[in-house]
Amino acid sequence: MTTTPAINIEHLRKAYRTGTVAVQDLSMQVQPGDFFGFLGPNGAGKSTTIHCITGIATVTSGKIEIFGIDAVKNYREARRMIGLSPQEFNVDTFATVTQIVDWMGGYFGMNAAQRKSRTDMLIQRFDLTQHAKKSFRELSGGLKRRVILARALVHDPKLLILDEPTAGVDVELRLDLWRYLQELNAEGKTILLTSHYLEEIERLCKTIAVIAGGKIVRQGPKQDFFTVPGGLEKAYLEATGHRADQFAVGAA
Amino acid sequence: MSDLTLPEATRHMGINWIGLGTIIRREWSRVWRVPVQAFLAPWISALMFIFIFGFVVGGNIRHIAGHRYVEFVLPGVLMLNIVNAAFLQSTSQIYFQRFLRYIEETLVAPLSYVEMIIGSLTMTIVRSVVTAVGILLIGMAFGATHMNNIFEFVFWIVAVSIIFGLLGIIIALWANNFEQLTMLNVFFIAPLSFVGGVFNTVSMLPPWLKWLAYANPFFYFINGLRDSMIGFDEGPRLLGYGVAFGLIAVLGGWTWRLFSIGYGLRE
Repeated sequence: MTTTPAINIEHLRKAYRTGTVAVQDLSMQVQPGDFFGFLGPNGAGKSTTIHCITGIATVTSGKIEIFGIDAVKNYREARRMIGLSPQEFNVDTFATVTQIVDWMGGYFGMNAAQRKSRTDMLIQRFDLTQHAKKSFRELSGGLKRRVILARALVHDPKLLILDEPTAGVDVELRLDLWRYLQELNAEGKTILLTSHYLEEIERLCKTIAVIAGGKIVRQGPKQDFFTVPGGLEKAYLEATGHRADQFAVGAA
Repeated sequence: MSDLTLPEATRHMGINWIGLGTIIRREWSRVWRVPVQAFLAPWISALMFIFIFGFVVGGNIRHIAGHRYVEFVLPGVLMLNIVNAAFLQSTSQIYFQRFLRYIEETLVAPLSYVEMIIGSLTMTIVRSVVTAVGILLIGMAFGATHMNNIFEFVFWIVAVSIIFGLLGIIIALWANNFEQLTMLNVFFIAPLSFVGGVFNTVSMLPPWLKWLAYANPFFYFINGLRDSMIGFDEGPRLLGYGVAFGLIAVLGGWTWRLFSIGYGLRE
């Protein structure tokens, strides 16, 4: 019996109005329950792919399915299952922490009791209780990142998409977040994670895909990236068209 | 782990009612961060217009169709402020969402384009109605207490709010900076509303200018509101309703189309 993938992308192409082609003929699958690492250099097409999955960007051509539901034709049903923590802060910066999390629950149709319960739990879980009534703009970078994560989780999505969630956060939060994400994954949530920290991908992910120039250039179980000396770093650099020794300290 | 699903009640008739309500709640919260700008400013502006034109200047003007000048000018002043309130509410609402990128919160949520548009328009109507009630109270303080037909009055307040709410959404989707956001107001809305009969009747105009009044949609809005308040009607009433419904249909269809292709919203 085959299982329906959490994410199924076939021949995705995204061209912007300026003519820039950010993603070309990208196909990949993320299985339910996977912790999927999505690696690639800046401008490779990671965020664009995520934006196409979540509806922030329109799809030029190709197919995207979320747990078997067409993310374009049946977008409302597909989006109910996705929680997104974007790379850039996209919030009403004058709203309070509680409002930001509560409103997102509202957009997803959660009633007042559900929203209150989930918002309180997440604010507590992300250690935001003493900041709950502060506006977003008053918070430090690390606290802002926690709010974005709490917002992504408020409707308890089956699929969590995290676009560089630990960029610019301190070691304590990063370790705490890793632990929490592993708990969520162990409970059955599918997680797609992009990061520039190879250590993070290595520690958390079960499957890894590397994107370069808008195409998937390598994909497989994590252990496949560790079959040669140099591990993930070497495999990543080679997949993106570089030689590992090119970046060695002291290399001419 | 619990798997939250949308309760049936929230999807009644296929509509995400709670999501729709949340858009309105969020906007209400945003507007109440700037109460002086949102409500006090139009009330003070209306007070000045009514005091100077209605009370000071109007004291030296003969009655128009049996009504004191302050009663004649109040519907025009009311309409000026309704148009402004509706346009500013919807442009600032959509443009700030785009500017700060929190439009993405609604784009990733299970909300339809129609729910997003209706959510925006509802708050636009609420702001216009609050503005109108304040100005009516100011008018009453100056003795302008006529209300000929309350249903017609409500129709014109709501219809004009929707028209300029939709126009505001279109402009906010198109604009790429604050300069562009104000262009329509400066070059189109303000001039046309002033020559639409706020302070004068069409019969006061020279014959060669009368055609301009009848070609100006603001004339029908002001004339309709004036008729609802003091029963003074200078234009074909049915044509006025036709202009209002026609503009709502055209601008509504245009807005829906822009949302459906993601113009100004999606990358």
